[in-house]
Amino acid sequence: MSKPAPLIHPRRTLVRLRYATPKILATLFALLLAAVWIGPLALMVMTSIKPNSEFLNGPFALPIAPTLEPYVKVWEGLKFGVLMQNSLIYAATGSALAVGLALVPAFALSRFEPPGNRYIFALLLTGLMLPQQTVLIPLYDMLRWLHLFDTRIGLIVVHGVYGMPSQILILRGFMTTIPRDIEKAAQIEGATDFQIFTKVILPLAVPGIVVGYTLNFIAIWKEFIFALVFLNNEAIFPAVGMLKLNSDRYISAFNLPSAGLVISQIPIAILLILAYRWISSGNFVGSVKG
Amino acid sequence: MANVSLVDVEKRFGAHVVIPRLNLEIADGSFVVLVGPSGCGKTTTLNMIAGLDPITAGQLLIGGRDVTDMPPKDRDIAMVFQSYALFPHMSVFDNIAFGMKIRRLAKSEIDSQVHSVADRLRIGSLLDRLPKALSGGQRQRVALARALVRRPGVFLMDEPLSNLDAKLGIEARSFLAKMHHEIGVTTVYVTHDQSEAMTMGDTIVVMKDGLIQQSAPPLVVYNKPANTFVAGFIGSPAMNFLGLSIADSKLVDPDNGFAIAIPDRLRGALNGYEKPKVVLGVRPEALRPAPRSADSSGAPLLSIDVAQHLGHETLLDASSGPHRIVARVGASDDSRIGEKRPFLFDAERMHLFDQDTGANLALSPI
Repeated sequence: MSKPAPLIHPRRTLVRLRYATPKILATLFALLLAAVWIGPLALMVMTSIKPNSEFLNGPFALPIAPTLEPYVKVWEGLKFGVLMQNSLIYAATGSALAVGLALVPAFALSRFEPPGNRYIFALLLTGLMLPQQTVLIPLYDMLRWLHLFDTRIGLIVVHGVYGMPSQILILRGFMTTIPRDIEKAAQIEGATDFQIFTKVILPLAVPGIVVGYTLNFIAIWKEFIFALVFLNNEAIFPAVGMLKLNSDRYISAFNLPSAGLVISQIPIAILLILAYRWISSGNFVGSVKG
Repeated sequence: MANVSLVDVEKRFGAHVVIPRLNLEIADGSFVVLVGPSGCGKTTTLNMIAGLDPITAGQLLIGGRDVTDMPPKDRDIAMVFQSYALFPHMSVFDNIAFGMKIRRLAKSEIDSQVHSVADRLRIGSLLDRLPKALSGGQRQRVALARALVRRPGVFLMDEPLSNLDAKLGIEARSFLAKMHHEIGVTTVYVTHDQSEAMTMGDTIVVMKDGLIQQSAPPLVVYNKPANTFVAGFIGSPAMNFLGLSIADSKLVDPDNGFAIAIPDRLRGALNGYEKPKVVLGVRPEALRPAPRSADSSGAPLLSIDVAQHLGHETLLDASSGPHRIVARVGASDDSRIGEKRPFLFDAERMHLFDQDTGANLALSPI
């Protein structure tokens, strides 16, 4: 005697639920994490389009009468255009210096085994892990001694040197993926080490250079402590550094720094979008193997 | 054009000896294939000739010049890599012209040389492309063109066909052989594929553990292998080896029904050989089941384990006790699996090897 099977088997639903549960939980967790990230950003954007009084009435409330006035005020009152220009100078030249300083050591560490290889590496990693605060006072002294304190060049040099260790690691990792045979082929064709570096390795390392440069650019753009300590002249301040001073001055105006922050993040967003195409370009297809 | 001499060449990485002491004479215009299993030192040897791996001790002469300590560019060589090693950021034209640009040749000179070599290799229409837009066979031709355009005295090739699929590989094989025939440049070719070695080389150099096992023309290596390693490595399916005792001018294993008469021409080789056993080597084509009609008493009986029908021929796997053999027989063979059949050994094509050293007893004095 056999009963006809029911159309929807209760056990099957249970089984399906058991398999789906971890997925649902993971998705919920991911959404929670995303909210933690996006929350402050949303709050910043929201604050930047409210009049200050509205913010003081309800910091988390949705804007009732959105306005672009804070943007206009910040841009004009603080000469934000100049500040952005400063930021651009520091980030562009500072990361160029960091990448430039890192190229040759990265090549050397990826290809040859220089004596003391491991110690060089240990030093590089130390450089990476050193908190900014620990080097503030020595760097301050050094910049004064070099007459570079409160100058653009001084801050650029600091950023370049401070960014170099991570650039060496990024570029070295990238250069080790360039197949050795390509270099040997160039060697057989009569290229010197320098020619191999400039004509083969550098062009092939461009995606790595773009990645490193972009990361360093962002790091300098949002850097705060160095700019605050090594600069006094407000005319050469980067955008992010200036905002701090500003919130002291207009202590009750929350919408203005928010607007400034939003403006200051726009170039970063554009840069990331531009660099992304490079980063994922897959330049090696066809060099070796089928 | 140049000959290559390796004189007492040694290669060590730290304390690890890769090539103990290598002596090899490569004649001008010849096509020499270095072949052996991976780790046998064939690529290291090639890299030493190229100048990519420094020689620890000994001397390397190319065209009579001592080039032991010279950089690759001064050695009058060109190399084709297994991976092709094309410069991915350069067009086909720039890949081929790279060396000439480094040497700062005139633009018109570079232009005409690149075009002439590209036309010869039938890649003239691809000069503007990047390597990633080429097929495997085309990439290989670009790599060849880059090497050819140097007009080297010696061509070095490191497994240039192993990245091509089987059909393309066989095409490229005859293409390379034809090219060598036309331009006649001394070529040193490394491969792990014994059939590539057999079909392409004037001379095959079989290597194992950094030592040359045999260096001879393909058919000599095939028909008179120096030892069991060479005999087993060259030829597919591999040569069959049977460990047998010697008794009354016969090779015997009474427990398994073996009693094979030693051919007259091999008797002399066994003079003074006093070890209890000898290794009999027979290639699969020198073995066949006796015709069913013939009287075959005395022939060893082997039971058929597997019959592999390849269409144009059949491979029979057969065994008796510990002895296993593969026989290459006609496509019409009607052996059934499990059946026991007497097998005939071709006396003209039997080899005897030393039980311990593996040396071919007919070639080496004991």
